[in-house]
Amino acid sequence: MRRLLAGCFVLLLALAAQAEDRVSWEITPRVTAPGQPFRLQIQVESDVVLGGAQQVDREIRPPRGMALRLSGQVVRADSNEATLNFSGVAPDQEGEYVIPAFNLRFVRKLIVAPEIRLIVSKSVRYRAASQARAELVIPDRTFYVGELIRGAVRMRGGDEEAVVASFGLESVAEGFTFAVTGDRQPLPDELGQGMQTTFDLTPIREGVSELSLKGTMLIQSVDRPTFGFGGRDRPFSFRRKLTVEHVPERGRPADWSGAIGKFAAEAVQVSKDRPEVGEPIRLRAILTGSGNLDRLLTPELAGGEQWDVLPAQERRRHSEDQRFFVYTLVPRLPGKLLTPTIRFSTFDPATKQFSRVEFKSIVVEVTGSAPAKVDLITADPAAPAATKLKPITGLATPTPRRPGPLLSGAPATPLAASPAFWSGNALVLVALLALTAGALYLGYLAAHPELRRRRRARAIVRTALTEARMTAGRPAFARAVVRALQAGSAALLDAEDEAMTQSDVERVLPGADRALLDALFVDAYGERFAAGAPTHATGDETAAHELLRRLLSLL
Amino acid sequence: MRFLACLLLCWLAPLSAADAPSAAEAAYAKGDYATAVEKWSDEARAEGVTPALLSALGNAEWRLGRKGRAMVCWERALLLDPRDPVALAGIRHALNAGGAERPAPTWSENYASFLGADAWLLLATAAFWTALLCVIVPRLRGRSAGEGNHRTRVIALTILALCLPGIWGSRSLDARAVIRKADVSLRLTPTQFGEPLNGLAEGDVVRTERPFNGHVRVTTADGKTGWVRAGEIEAVRGPGLPADLDQKAAP
Repeated sequence: MRRLLAGCFVLLLALAAQAEDRVSWEITPRVTAPGQPFRLQIQVESDVVLGGAQQVDREIRPPRGMALRLSGQVVRADSNEATLNFSGVAPDQEGEYVIPAFNLRFVRKLIVAPEIRLIVSKSVRYRAASQARAELVIPDRTFYVGELIRGAVRMRGGDEEAVVASFGLESVAEGFTFAVTGDRQPLPDELGQGMQTTFDLTPIREGVSELSLKGTMLIQSVDRPTFGFGGRDRPFSFRRKLTVEHVPERGRPADWSGAIGKFAAEAVQVSKDRPEVGEPIRLRAILTGSGNLDRLLTPELAGGEQWDVLPAQERRRHSEDQRFFVYTLVPRLPGKLLTPTIRFSTFDPATKQFSRVEFKSIVVEVTGSAPAKVDLITADPAAPAATKLKPITGLATPTPRRPGPLLSGAPATPLAASPAFWSGNALVLVALLALTAGALYLGYLAAHPELRRRRRARAIVRTALTEARMTAGRPAFARAVVRALQAGSAALLDAEDEAMTQSDVERVLPGADRALLDALFVDAYGERFAAGAPTHATGDETAAHELLRRLLSLL
Repeated sequence: MRFLACLLLCWLAPLSAADAPSAAEAAYAKGDYATAVEKWSDEARAEGVTPALLSALGNAEWRLGRKGRAMVCWERALLLDPRDPVALAGIRHALNAGGAERPAPTWSENYASFLGADAWLLLATAAFWTALLCVIVPRLRGRSAGEGNHRTRVIALTILALCLPGIWGSRSLDARAVIRKADVSLRLTPTQFGEPLNGLAEGDVVRTERPFNGHVRVTTADGKTGWVRAGEIEAVRGPGLPADLDQKAAP
């Protein structure tokens, strides 16, 4: 029985011995120079299949000044071994640094890693210029609440390594407002290869605060292999204690409006050089410099006897480090006026001195006339009150039943807008003009009787032409033609119709056939003197028609 | 002669009844301006407006603090009777003590204020017809114009020439409006969100130009030109009583 119990105890010891996890670590190089990159490898051997490690970065707590980041792990699915690789950068101060024990959480098991020690010694030969490195650029001085601090993280490449990217910038800045203003920008040429991330810090309370920045840059060997990417990441971490104070009250001018930095009055412009009295113009002052342009208060401009100043509207150009102060000025008097002077005090954190920024006034020529003279209060209170003229104001006593003027009209529509008025006048005017025209026409006709006679003659000739065509008998034809010839000739010769003879017709129509005329007159009137006288044969009707047409053309 | 006597009596008839103050006048004298406005408005609606009634109404409106309505009443009274003393005093008071602004009258407007607009037009029309008849009648009669005809013709043409500036001034006096709402903005463009150029107060008088897009282009007393909404002003020339801008339009 004792042997059996001893055997079981030995077996249990053997099992317990097999269940112990083995964790080993190795830092390369084992002793580093300040700021030198190093690699940490942790090997784990367990009695169970481990699976992948989780959240290792959260568990590990590197000491102050040391940057450390999990860069990879090797875990086989069916193996109880795991290898974790970290990349890091040694602190800038020499000494022995201890990474406290931390947990490695695998899928199947939690394993405790022991504390890890890193020795940093200046005795180690390390050429910093050959490797990529990160630098925090921030002024080393006392800061002031409200000022604008511009800083940068410069990731500079070395002789053997180049910085190709960066990511994962994290910041912890209690008591500050932190804003990245430019991310992954190329470095200036004089700083060599690399990139930088710029940021703005503004202290918001007094005291000592810590600024913590960390991130990772991706580096690549300059002589990278032909095949494969060859890049690796390298973390950086900065912790800086910053002292913040309030701008000193001693010597602080009354017109200090929160401006901290170095400023310069760039220019003053007006929107119009020759405004009229009362015409608003815009005054624009451009302030440049390095400081808290956004936070300083707009200087107040007081209006005076010459100017009225209206509230300002501002614009800010972030890209040009400028700030515009815009005021609306209204000139009150004509002449050459100087714009109000814009001035305010600033505090320079470098020299810890207050200074004054002043925009020069410019001349504006105001045209127009001055408003009505204002009676200013005289300085002589003993002046007799009777000499002061009272303005004539006050309402008169209404007399609503007072008769109005005779031709007051209607208030809504004046007579000038009345269509009836204008149409009535126009109608009368047209009628009057028509009457006048008629009277003038009749008077003209009365003064020229030949017009009427010729018109009558024309009518007779046309009628005769028609009758001559339609008449069958010779005497009737001859009578119509002769009557027409007589009427036409009488109109042209200003004589009576019945007195016209063949000779008169010949005078009017030179070249007319006398024989034809005689025949026509005999046929027309022959019967009056000798009844049954023979008539001429037909056949000369065409010539008679031609005579009438000639006569008609003369009328 | 008898007709002229009747006309004179009709004109003077209201004077005989002026001894007993009306209810509106009594209310005005007691300081009950709201009642005075109500009574005078009823009277104007029933019997039509007269310059004196409009100026009295303007006084009561001013006492009630309604600057816009008061200025409309006074300006309309002056259109009917350019020398109405109550309206002139009211406008002077508004300009000096009330803070209202009114464009300075031009020379033609000053000239036109000697008579009413209708009087200028009637006078010009009469002069025109006289001159025309002096030219036409001798022609119709077929006689040469006599010396009297020539004299009449010259006088008529002179009166016509003197009436033309009066008609022009009356026309520009009509083209004005009164700001009826408080804190009106003079806008750069005739749009809803036009940039405000200047502020106009209730009771200010502006010169009006063309309307566009529900706005009217106006020129203020200090010469600034811009646009105001049509509903914010009331034309000086209009129906007898000021418009009630608070009343919604009928659908």
